[in-house]
Amino acid sequence: MVSRIKKHRVPGKQKRVILPLHPLLSLCAARTQSSVSGDLLPRTSLSSPPWSEQTSFVSAEEERSRHAAVVSTVNDRIERQDFGRLFAVVHFAARQWKVTNEDLILVENHIEAECGDRIYLEKVLLVGAEDFTLVGRPLLGKELVRVKATVIEKTESCPKMHMVFWKRHRFQKKRTIVQPQTVLRINSIELHPRLS
Amino acid sequence: MTSRGTPSRFLKSVLQNGVGRYVCQLKRVSIMFSKKSPSALGVRDFIEEGVVDYAKKNPGTVVYVSPQLCNIPKVVAEYLNGNTKEELLTNKTSQQVLEVLTKLTDQSGQDIIRIRKPYHTDSPSIQGQWHPFTHRPPSVGLIRPQNQRVE
Repeated sequence: MVSRIKKHRVPGKQKRVILPLHPLLSLCAARTQSSVSGDLLPRTSLSSPPWSEQTSFVSAEEERSRHAAVVSTVNDRIERQDFGRLFAVVHFAARQWKVTNEDLILVENHIEAECGDRIYLEKVLLVGAEDFTLVGRPLLGKELVRVKATVIEKTESCPKMHMVFWKRHRFQKKRTIVQPQTVLRINSIELHPRLS
Repeated sequence: MTSRGTPSRFLKSVLQNGVGRYVCQLKRVSIMFSKKSPSALGVRDFIEEGVVDYAKKNPGTVVYVSPQLCNIPKVVAEYLNGNTKEELLTNKTSQQVLEVLTKLTDQSGQDIIRIRKPYHTDSPSIQGQWHPFTHRPPSVGLIRPQNQRVE
């Protein structure tokens, strides 16, 4: 029999998905178990890129000093605010959006804020400028990045038809679905000079 | 109808609303009702109680109240981009009339048709758009035609 991965819903505002404990034991990953220890997946023509991988051997100290140099350069840039336009990947309304200044976002639900209210989008996963990127694990701190947005419009969506039809059974249902929508304008993304 | 048969548009705001200050897009609201018809009871209650508060809460919108001999109470909303929207208020309570007016206030005057993409950017790429040669070092030196050795 086929075993299904069940989703467990916690009552309340949060919805959590309990994934199988060990990814190798799930149904679709049955092939990854191989008797010979080594690669997890079988090697195909697309397993690795067609160019050769250049690995230069660098000592651990050299690597650490290089990393420290990169971090100090990025810190200097952030202190001097020496970057142009910033973009950010923001988690909002169960979706991730890549967002810059002055761009629009349409969210398919009702938000508890009036038109014209300014909002902070707090779950920031990634911030990038032209020369550097800051990647959060999984989120970046609130003292580091601030994404401000304004609620512009709260409308309803266009009426969508939901129809069920079974042929030869004389069964059909039809109803109109109209969903609330909110339009946000991202006003600014600010990067503050406190990076640890 | 399917989305191919109905008109569609891209997500847009009227004159970059929100970049500077937010401007309410509702210009004028005209409420037409009759003094005696039973279907306009809720509208009459709303005009007794709630219209003044609504008008004070939205200082940028002009509210016209016109009692006429009409069977159907209506509200006509005009927006800054020139579009007009009409809603019927037959047999609605005072609270429902207020909800209809709030909904009209929160909308911008754009058409309610299918929106193709739920986002809009004017600067889609900051670090440079990817093409197949980004981050790819040249693997071979000079590319020569294979037949050179034969000659």
